[in-house]
Amino acid sequence: MLASLGLVGCSVGTASTGTEPDTSLTVGLLATPGNLDYTTTAGAAIPQALLYNVYEGLVKLDNDGTIMPLLAKSWTVSGDGLVYDFQLNEGVTFSDGSPFTAASVKFSLERVKDNWSANGPAYLDPIAQIEVVSDSQVRITLSKPSNSWLFNMSGPVGTMFTESGIADLATDAVGTGPYTVSSFKTGDSLVLATNADYWGEAPYMSDVTLRYFTDATAQTNALLSGDISLISGISQFQLVDQFKSNADFQVLEGASTGEVTLSMNNAGAAFSDVRVRQAVMYAIDRQAVLDTANSGYGLLIGSMVPPTDLWYDASLADLYPYDPDKAIELLDQAGVSDLSVAFKIPNLPYAVAGAQVVKDQLDKVGITANVTVLEFPAVWLDEVFANHDYDMSLIMHSEPRDATSFAVPSYYAGYDSPEVIAKFAQADAADAATHVELMREATRTMTEEAAANWLYLQPAISLADADLLGVPKNTPSLALDLSTIAR
Amino acid sequence: MVLVVLRRIGLFAATVVVASIVTFLMLSILPGNAARIALGVQATEADVAAQTKAMGLDRPAVVRYLDWFGHVLVGDFGTSTVSRRAIGPEITDALGITVILVLTSVVLALLFAVPFGILSAVRQRKPDGAILSGISQIGVAVPGFLAGMLLVTVFAVTLRWLPAGGWVDPGDDLGGFLQHLILPAIALGSVQGAVLSRYVRSSVLEVTREDFIRTARAKGLGVGRALFRHGLRNAAVPVMTVLGLQIASLLVGAVVIERVFSLPGLGSLLLDKVALRDLPAVQGIVLVLVVFVLLLNFLVDLAFTVIDPRLRSAS
Repeated sequence: MLASLGLVGCSVGTASTGTEPDTSLTVGLLATPGNLDYTTTAGAAIPQALLYNVYEGLVKLDNDGTIMPLLAKSWTVSGDGLVYDFQLNEGVTFSDGSPFTAASVKFSLERVKDNWSANGPAYLDPIAQIEVVSDSQVRITLSKPSNSWLFNMSGPVGTMFTESGIADLATDAVGTGPYTVSSFKTGDSLVLATNADYWGEAPYMSDVTLRYFTDATAQTNALLSGDISLISGISQFQLVDQFKSNADFQVLEGASTGEVTLSMNNAGAAFSDVRVRQAVMYAIDRQAVLDTANSGYGLLIGSMVPPTDLWYDASLADLYPYDPDKAIELLDQAGVSDLSVAFKIPNLPYAVAGAQVVKDQLDKVGITANVTVLEFPAVWLDEVFANHDYDMSLIMHSEPRDATSFAVPSYYAGYDSPEVIAKFAQADAADAATHVELMREATRTMTEEAAANWLYLQPAISLADADLLGVPKNTPSLALDLSTIAR
Repeated sequence: MVLVVLRRIGLFAATVVVASIVTFLMLSILPGNAARIALGVQATEADVAAQTKAMGLDRPAVVRYLDWFGHVLVGDFGTSTVSRRAIGPEITDALGITVILVLTSVVLALLFAVPFGILSAVRQRKPDGAILSGISQIGVAVPGFLAGMLLVTVFAVTLRWLPAGGWVDPGDDLGGFLQHLILPAIALGSVQGAVLSRYVRSSVLEVTREDFIRTARAKGLGVGRALFRHGLRNAAVPVMTVLGLQIASLLVGAVVIERVFSLPGLGSLLLDKVALRDLPAVQGIVLVLVVFVLLLNFLVDLAFTVIDPRLRSAS
């Protein structure tokens, strides 16, 4: 944060030498929001554009994944971890002029249970009671201690709304953030203008246009031709190298929370035996998949935990070295021969490229993978995710801290381990140190039992004009935080 | 005459109704649940069921069809299940962009094809005529999307003269509008221009062999004047037929070009809405496209009778 403020000061300094500072920014993004309402519409596109920019919560995640104060100035937690006392910033108003007070907190959080259908309303289940102590103080009592609760409050479910601003959430976003939506055209662009009455420090960029592309090449061409200044999260990595050798641009490589996962239907006939799943772990050369599908960009993680989480265990990447003979041996032990599996993948570039390598490598250990490419999201969600009609799939899990939901038996992976479920529950209620320890144990068990083959962590690569400063490097949350960007 | 017009209108209406039923049926057998897409991977079965009901997707297909088409007849395309805005304005906004793109590319194609075609017909036996003919052959062979990508690479990425894509409304900034229009219009028009120029060429060649041209030349007119005075109007009829057919294929071509240049036209809107299973919007867009193509054919028929008086009695 300090560094980025320094950078802002620096560029204002250059501006004073004569030229007007250019405070407009055009960003190229891939997934377009369908509307502006993330309370009832799933997907990362709406929070990416609006969270922290138009909407704010009590807390936010900074670019390193640390929970920071936002609308809450500070907070204290009782010794038993049940009572949170938030001290709110004063003089905050929503963009429609209504004031933000403790009553807004109560209103917004109580709305979630009955009115939200997307973006994880269940994240707020631990809340037992919300008390308005004064206009600037709110006390939230939990029914049981929860380590994930405050973290989740930094995401969409923690958003603060005003009663006068929720009539038409799909088209009209009223928040307390530094920007307001000045125009929005699905599939084309979303234009943000600075909120003149913003309570905090005004962002450097006064006009930000988010332009939506359907094609990654069109997106990089727009950057090369100067139509846009920033691409956040490039999806096709073979397009990156041309920017590395070009002094007009900078390439920022950060960490995301997207684990690219070769999932196996643990509850299905083909993969119910742990030895068969482990055979798949040994059969796949993950580096080869990474090289083919991602031009080598990314990190081998071997578990469902990115390095930005404290319980990340780097040794899990080596738990199953590439060893086809071992895979054949395990299949023999399990009494499986001529295994043929339905490998249903989404029609996304990384999945199509990765599946081909996986198929070839499985062939070498005697597993025949019949690849079917399904339209994403519509058909994949239906067949694989909802109806569990598959043996194997390949998909990126992009939500932060999603290992716990992966371990729910009714989830599409069908992984049912009472031990892991119990550990996740204990971890959530434990003190900070034990929390990390139990999370590490549980996620390790998931890899040991080969709940899935976590191939690699998708990198967060941003491409930007060379003169752009403070570009967020990592994507620890769903939001694209524009407040630190300057020129 | 009145009877003919009435029959045409009746046929037009019947085609629209059939098209609406086919569109509706095709979309209702499309796999994928719009409610689940809206709620995403964290939704429970109960959430999805409630959302299905809220979207009205639990009603029988016949009821949904009649409800939808009944409203369309009075000009109400309904509300998008995704953007939750009225579909009508979404379609007209996007249609405006596609129509501007298609018409500009038609004009460019004609501006290229007519002089080029006539020239290569007149210079048929000369080396330059053969070269001209070869150029148009290459033009026919290069698909629009490839032409688009080449144009972007040269004029946007390398030279940085023009934007690589996007759209600016003419009302906001006319200069910016033209800058954004020029590359996609050329990309879309180039193939059509090349195809048309070949028709112009063969049509002109045919006309030059006609008796009336020989008569005109016998009266002492030069090749050019004979062609200009008597030939072109005759040569225009087959060219118009091809142009009419091509406009329909231009609409399809526009879908691809809109993707290459990230233009928010009807093609982009259609693909986005299909991906999101926003069925009321998809139905509306397809219906508008069908009506548009039917209308074009009707206008082309009408144009014939203006160009060629001989066809007036025939219709």
